[in-house]
Amino acid sequence: MKLDAKIPDGPLEQKWSRHKKEMKLVAPNNKRKYEVIVVGTGLAGGAAAASMAELGYKVKSFCIQDSARRAHSIAAQGGINAAKNYPNDGDSIWRLFYDTIKGGDYRSREANVYRLAEVANEIIDQAVAQGVPFAREYSGLLDNRSFGGAQVSRTFYARGQTGQQLLLGAYQAMMRQVYEGNVEYFPRHEMLDVVVIDGKARGIISRDLVTGELMRFEADAVVLATGGYGNVFYLSTNAKNSNVTAAWRAYKRGALFANPCFVQVHPTCIPVSGDYQSKLTLMSESLRNDGRVWVPREKGDKRHPNDIPEEERYYYLEERYPSFGNLVPRDVASRNAKMVCDEGLGVGETGLAVYLDFRDAIKRDGLESIKARYGNLFDMYENIAGENPYKQPMRIFPAVHYTMGGLWVDYNLMTNIPGLFATGEANFSDHGANRLGASALMQGLSDGYFVLPATIGNYLADEKPGTRYGTDHEAFVQVEKEAQEQIDRLLNVNGKRTIIDFHRTLGKIVWDKIGISRNKEDLESAIKEIQELREEFWKDVYVPGEKNNYNKYLEFAGRVADFFELAELMAKDALDREESCGCHLRDEYQTEEGEALRNDKDFAYVSAWEFKGLNGKLETELHKENLEFEFVELKQRSYK
Amino acid sequence: MSKEMTIHLKYWKQNGPSDPGHFEERTLDTVNEHMSFLEMLDVLNEELQLDGIDPLEFDYDCREGICGSCNLVINGQAHGPKDKTACCQLHMRNYKDGDKITIEPPRAAAFPVIKDLVVDRSAFDRIIEAGGYISVKTGSAQEANATPIEKEASDASFDYATCIGCGACVAACPNASASLFTGAKIAHLNHVPQGELERTKRVVAMVDQMKEEGFGDCSNFAECEAVCPVGISISAIAEMRRDYVKAVIS
Amino acid sequence: MPSLLKAMNSQVGRKIMTGITGVALMLFLIGHLAGNLSIFGSADAFNIYTKTLMDLGPLLYVIEAALAFLFLYHTVLGVSIWLKKRKARPQSYDTYKTKGGPSHQSLASRSMIISGSVIFIFLILHIIHFKFGAEYTTMIDGVEARDLRQLVLEEFQKTWVVIAYVFVLALTILHLSHGFWSAFTSLGMKNQNRSKKIQMTAYAFAIILMLAFIFIPLYIYFTGGQGSLITY
Ligand SMILES: Cc1cc2nc3c(=O)[nH]c(=O)nc-3n(C[C@H](O)[C@H](O)[C@H](O)COP(=O)(O)OP(=O)(O)OC[C@H]3O[C@@H](n4cnc5c(N)ncnc54)[C@H](O)[C@@H]3O)c2cc1C
Ligand code: HEM
Ligand code: HEM
Ligand code: SF4
Ligand code: F3S
Ligand code: FES
Repeated sequence: MKLDAKIPDGPLEQKWSRHKKEMKLVAPNNKRKYEVIVVGTGLAGGAAAASMAELGYKVKSFCIQDSARRAHSIAAQGGINAAKNYPNDGDSIWRLFYDTIKGGDYRSREANVYRLAEVANEIIDQAVAQGVPFAREYSGLLDNRSFGGAQVSRTFYARGQTGQQLLLGAYQAMMRQVYEGNVEYFPRHEMLDVVVIDGKARGIISRDLVTGELMRFEADAVVLATGGYGNVFYLSTNAKNSNVTAAWRAYKRGALFANPCFVQVHPTCIPVSGDYQSKLTLMSESLRNDGRVWVPREKGDKRHPNDIPEEERYYYLEERYPSFGNLVPRDVASRNAKMVCDEGLGVGETGLAVYLDFRDAIKRDGLESIKARYGNLFDMYENIAGENPYKQPMRIFPAVHYTMGGLWVDYNLMTNIPGLFATGEANFSDHGANRLGASALMQGLSDGYFVLPATIGNYLADEKPGTRYGTDHEAFVQVEKEAQEQIDRLLNVNGKRTIIDFHRTLGKIVWDKIGISRNKEDLESAIKEIQELREEFWKDVYVPGEKNNYNKYLEFAGRVADFFELAELMAKDALDREESCGCHLRDEYQTEEGEALRNDKDFAYVSAWEFKGLNGKLETELHKENLEFEFVELKQRSYK
Repeated sequence: MSKEMTIHLKYWKQNGPSDPGHFEERTLDTVNEHMSFLEMLDVLNEELQLDGIDPLEFDYDCREGICGSCNLVINGQAHGPKDKTACCQLHMRNYKDGDKITIEPPRAAAFPVIKDLVVDRSAFDRIIEAGGYISVKTGSAQEANATPIEKEASDASFDYATCIGCGACVAACPNASASLFTGAKIAHLNHVPQGELERTKRVVAMVDQMKEEGFGDCSNFAECEAVCPVGISISAIAEMRRDYVKAVIS
Repeated sequence: MPSLLKAMNSQVGRKIMTGITGVALMLFLIGHLAGNLSIFGSADAFNIYTKTLMDLGPLLYVIEAALAFLFLYHTVLGVSIWLKKRKARPQSYDTYKTKGGPSHQSLASRSMIISGSVIFIFLILHIIHFKFGAEYTTMIDGVEARDLRQLVLEEFQKTWVVIAYVFVLALTILHLSHGFWSAFTSLGMKNQNRSKKIQMTAYAFAIILMLAFIFIPLYIYFTGGQGSLITY
């Protein structure tokens, strides 16, 4: 298989505009003859469904939750980037592009990232026009703040609820199209598989989560906007329903899965308190703008943090990275937190936490101004941790947060299966080995509002309008049968261990061995452990309830089954990548100072994995898309 | 170290809209004070499954108080006893050893039960569908800073925009009215200049839809404000009425 | 835009109309109180007041019709809101508790339908009682007129009448203590900063107004209609 990213020619600044000019168009009266299935209603899916419906396509929109408005994007707190340069601090599209490429440690495509930076400005315009109440200054103009790893102020925000406000904008735009009859809306539906006919994606099989009924839907193209797979770790900041199922089933039908081992760990989460813990809560990293990260210099210092004098506090980020200090990128911050905890300097009951201290900021700016900036985050912390962060430092620890890996797509966001598109966190495209803060929202909306609605036309223009095989076509029948078999199989195991128990055990393996840092030995043993546990899962899992009723545990069982397979692919990918880059830190490949050591000569590629079979072990074939850097010079990242 | 408690649960089981439903009871002995309320129910469900009993179904997703999926009525209060807190963010340290807790689904004709504590809130989607948006096509927006918006207006708009669509307002309202939810969306959009053009059309359409869905009238009990996890004020309802009158007069 | 009829029948319209009719009825009560208090004025004051009303002739019928309409409309709305709420929640909670704080759930707000219904029944009896009660006559400025004052003084000598009136009037305090505040919100005048003040004013208004009403039967009863306030 030859991977063609279909990157347009020409200078970087002109690629997208030129491509838009050159793409084929669908005539307005033909548009309504095309049907597009959009799975997912997060920023990527919601925005795409709304925009494509506005263009005239007939859209079917699916999501797991009871309403499109509840997609996981709702939880994003911090903000969204755009190089508007309102603060006049030297920002530009180029700089946003450059920061993103560099932040991703040179493992993403230049052309994609440039387009992302370019389109970002339009997203802000669009959102404001929809009534998204971004933070404003007294002048009435939009406010910005600086955010994780950026030296300019380019992050737009709506208090600590930016994702919510942006998602509601997209959701409302989509509901308008539901009202107009251009979007058919299927909440509480889970896509279980994609249907490929003659090599092209032609539809999906979904399960009505209320009645349990399997349903067939046909269309001219299928878009997967199904989010990330961070929940493979069991504990993550992702919503409980986030999953890999849609992407994984596409993978098993021939779509390539790219860079599965690139998982971002967020440095500022509330630490784990016990076994019953079901998820981790993120504290927006905007907190690092004013909070100072430290641990006691002495091992095992059990004093109350407020009693530890200044000279005995180890502000390790400020000391190690004088120019960025507490604002180093996420991977650097996470890794360092883990390092100090490994050294035995961690704080709290478990020793798995570091302090994030606002004492100095409160002294400098006053309590009121800190309250205005972070009030809701502080309240949230106090509610969960039971401690008052105005009076004593927060305890934080890294947690899995975002997955840069995902379905391989070309410049048009199409997977290698024609007619199957992937957008948002579900694809691998724009963040390389590490994502900068406030750029996932940007990517989801850029894909959804601006890129996909344009590029899908280019694909559809070559498809005969109104081509229908009918859902009685054998491909539909066959795929539905397989989906049904998987459900029956799960219900029939009738073992003794619960699904959560299995998922938790899997998560622990993945966190310990494919987590913040990895090495050959761990990864190899992880693969073995995953295979063994997977086998046990299929022998001993207990799935309660019936298939013809609302049954959340049955839903989970299916997703956990897919996580079991994905985990193995992640380990294989991490094993293959014998270098460190971005969030992927292989213990074997670091500088003397413990920094990630990239190997651009051998590993400047996207690993795109093809499914070859599953027989106790996952059979795969690796395809490499070489990354070429015409416009930026590859540099060792340094945040010193 | 954290404390463990014994909690007596009484919860609603209903196997579909047509099943009359009934209460079941169970006692948990290992409830940790740091658990969230939903984590406590996870533990309940693990125990039930190990005993071969069907687990209790309830809705959730983010468990961070932002998605609005969870909406339990706990001891007669939507989202439980804590102010401005969704039940997924309610922690067991708010209870004490030996407490008895009754859990019910939101009860409203417009929110039919799907199973146990899971209800169908699609009526909310249809209210938004009727007009809860600003009609702007993708790509046709002007430059974001072209229309400055007073900070106060923008902040007020935000206060209403934070509604998470959980439906606790309906659950707690003695009339099962959806006025707070609907009012919040109307107030959000009407506080920014972009929302001005569709102002009258929006309020009429959304108010009509609310009735269509079978919600009750609003008698100004303000119980909705008390249970709202994000503290939306019933000023939203007052604004909705003001806008409605303006719409009728115009 | 919606037709006026449709608008008045929307959930917002209905509530606005309860508010408007409620406020109008409160205004009527103020007027009625002022009129009733004239019973403590000069010997003829009360009868002059009622006679002035009578002399309005057909205009009086218009006013009375309007008043009846107000009462009926208000009642129909109140009852229909109550009926709808039962439909909107066919199954009630096993356990239900208010969360307090900003909630305005109280004895008063929850019993609007009861206090209202009692007032309604009272009204019918009240009108039969006085308006269509015994016809005494008196002379005012040489013209024969109905002596309502006599009737009132006589009726309020009866223990059960006084008890009934005091009971209903007390219930009206309850009705108004929620109604006054509620009407502000219904008419779109709710404002976070003012809400507490409005509620306080509502209590004050309801209590003062109705105590003034209550004062009338009690005073007459205990002074046997012969108190110093009442001059012959
Ligand atoms: C706590 C938190 C904070 C964050 N903060 C920020 C931030 O400040 N800035 C930033 O830029 N990014 C942030 N992110 C990242 C960002 O929120 C996500 O990457 C982004 O929202 C993903 O959007 P999406 O549209 O791709 O997918 P999602 O929003 O995850 O949507 C997935 C959709 O797919 C549906 N779905 C999934 N599987 C199926 C299936 N099989 N069948 C049917 N439907 C399915 C779901 O129902 C859902 O509607 C944050 C993430 C987290 C967890
Ligand atoms: C002197 C007579 C009356 C006065 C001054 C009065 C006043 C009011 C006021 C001010 C309100 C608040 C309106 C609002 O919330 O917008 C109200 C509500 C109400 N009134 Fe009356 N009222 C009177 C008689 C009645 C009668 C006869 C009934 C008959 C049943 C009644 C039933 C109700 C009910 C049920 C409500 C609550 C409406 C709701 O739930 O929204 N009232 N009243
Ligand atoms: C102490 C208390 C009250 C006294 C002494 C009193 C006295 C009277 C009298 C004497 C009349 C006859 C007037 C006439 O026929 O012209 C009357 C009429 C009336 N009263 Fe009262 N009243 C009292 C309380 C109330 C209350 C609380 C209400 C309202 C809830 C009320 C509503 C009315 C109405 C509607 C009429 C008929 C008015 C008309 O048709 O002109 N009254 N009242
Ligand atoms: S107004 Fe409050 S209680 Fe009602 S749906 Fe919105 S967030 Fe929930
Ligand atoms: S509780 Fe119900 S009556 Fe109105 S003010 Fe709230 S909707
Ligand atoms: S689970 Fe999302 S708000 Fe409670």
